Amino acid sequence: MSATPSSVLERAQAAGGHPAITYRQAGDRSLLIEYGEMELDLTLNFFVLAVDAALSERPVDGLLESAPGFRSMLVRYDPRVVSPAELVEHLARLHDSLPAEQEIEIPSRVIELPIAFDDSQSRAAVERYIRSIRKDAPNCEGANNIDYIVRYNGFNDREEFYAAVLATEHWTGFIGFFPGLPFMFPVDPRHTVVAPKYNPTRTWTAEGAVGLGGPCYAIYPVESAGGYQLFGRSLPVYDLQARNEVFRENPLLLRPGDRVRFRRTTEEELLSAFEDVRADRYRYRIEEHAFDVGAYLELREQVREEADERRRRREEASAEAEIP
Amino acid sequence: MSGLEILEPGIQATVQDPTGRPGMLRQGFFPSGAMDYFALQAANLLVGNPREAAGIEVTLGGFAMRLQGDATIAVCGAEGQVTLDGEPLPPWSSRRAGAGAELRIAISPGPGFRFYVAVSGAIDVPELFGSRATYTMGGLGGYQGRALTAGDELPVGTGASDGRARRLPDAARPAYGREWEIEVMRGPQATPDYLTERDMEEFLSRSWAVDRNSDRTGVRLESHRFEWARKSGGVAGGHPSNILDNPYPVGAVNINGDLPVLLGPDGPTAGGFIVAATVVRGALWKLGQLRPIGDHVRFREVTLEESIALERELSARLTDDALEPAG
Repeated sequence: MSATPSSVLERAQAAGGHPAITYRQAGDRSLLIEYGEMELDLTLNFFVLAVDAALSERPVDGLLESAPGFRSMLVRYDPRVVSPAELVEHLARLHDSLPAEQEIEIPSRVIELPIAFDDSQSRAAVERYIRSIRKDAPNCEGANNIDYIVRYNGFNDREEFYAAVLATEHWTGFIGFFPGLPFMFPVDPRHTVVAPKYNPTRTWTAEGAVGLGGPCYAIYPVESAGGYQLFGRSLPVYDLQARNEVFRENPLLLRPGDRVRFRRTTEEELLSAFEDVRADRYRYRIEEHAFDVGAYLELREQVREEADERRRRREEASAEAEIP
Repeated sequence: MSGLEILEPGIQATVQDPTGRPGMLRQGFFPSGAMDYFALQAANLLVGNPREAAGIEVTLGGFAMRLQGDATIAVCGAEGQVTLDGEPLPPWSSRRAGAGAELRIAISPGPGFRFYVAVSGAIDVPELFGSRATYTMGGLGGYQGRALTAGDELPVGTGASDGRARRLPDAARPAYGREWEIEVMRGPQATPDYLTERDMEEFLSRSWAVDRNSDRTGVRLESHRFEWARKSGGVAGGHPSNILDNPYPVGAVNINGDLPVLLGPDGPTAGGFIVAATVVRGALWKLGQLRPIGDHVRFREVTLEESIALERELSARLTDDALEPAG
């Protein structure tokens, strides 16, 4: 028997308001389904989440679990129960049954989280990195990562960067890498900020630290290693011990489709809120708001010119910046 | 309920069960569980435990523990000297021991890298999300979410063992060596979109050295310059190994820049690098026995049918009927 010469099982062209779809084998127990092209296009993630929801409503025998990525989904299955060909067929029918992208509505919540910019723990993480891992990293000049983010994006100063973080909601595309870690992307494309990752990675990051890697924001759920540029600190997003009521049903605060809105605070206020979370005195502000993809596409069209102009400014600045 | 006390943990010893907690990828949990689940299943079978029961994974050796009650004990996995109260305990076999008995595992000269200790009644730490496995990267599960240290006292359940000494016949034990052949399926990100045919031929024909920086999160190999089917990672980053972050399967051969890493049971669930090939289920146990520095790996591409057959054959070795009385 000869082995498959390609890792692609099947491809479907974009049609009917759906992106192109590539079905890939991922070992003998999983398929990886990729949507559209390798572009930072949030509508691809909206489609992934719609597929994921449809699959949980209409599973197939032998399906073990599904896990969304930014523009992809890993589907784990038992090959003794369902063949890859049958699974692809089931997924293709599921894709066909979905509405066009612009008509998708995604269950979503808006979660407000405080953020203290340039906090002492993030600075301590950078200092520790300089001391023990790499002295001359361009992203750590001045013993912080913020000035590098400012340079890399062509912002005039730190305040302009902070304003970009605060001006938009951040879309949770998926959870991964580490238990409870949200991969978040700005909903308003005018406020996209980009930064290369650490090279090599950092061995310590504080719980609740907020970082930027590529175009993606993350909140560190526990003290851990990491590779994102750190610029602030927020509250716990994960607690197995459920010390706050928000974690009682699920130790993870965020789920795919949630939007985070940051509210600026001082580090002193943040640390006191951190204690209040632990003591179950703090109440997270969470509102249910379905996300209307059609309205998002309209907004994206309205601001396209301004977003493009800012992107050009960013790219000019990036070209000048040193890469870690 | 009785227990056991850890006297010397060695470089890393953790409580593990063979399967861990699969099904939580969407929340960012890799399954954890024994890296070499076959050896732990065999040890469980030898002491009369359910195959999926929790035991202790010992890395390299230099490990000692003391029983606080009577129990049947078995050690499977890497080659090395194991003694029970000073008497040699042959590998892949069980023996009855009384309260106060000391089990000692010397540093393994190889081949193999991890030992699995099963005690009748099994390690009875609390279950977390359906498993007793320690998830080192997430700091949860097992004993207090961490690797074992000297003085730790682990609870042991009440065993159903009849106390008979048994052994797994040689023919049922997997072959260990310093040159490993690991069965993989190509992709998800391989030819034609990400790697060239030549890259894939090179990947499958090379003998890859195992790097010292290897642990339960991943086994690192050595750097290699691929040709790459793409010039760059585009929006995802400068290097052609970069992609927009996506979920990883367990056993992924993840190409981090130029460095291939085999993702272990405690690895990251998602990331922004391509996965050139994926180790099939029936070969995953080998990751636990790869010895950093000195061992080499060759990859062999198999079909789905071959991988299902491989797993079935492996699983069929572990039945009560397969065991022999030990002298």
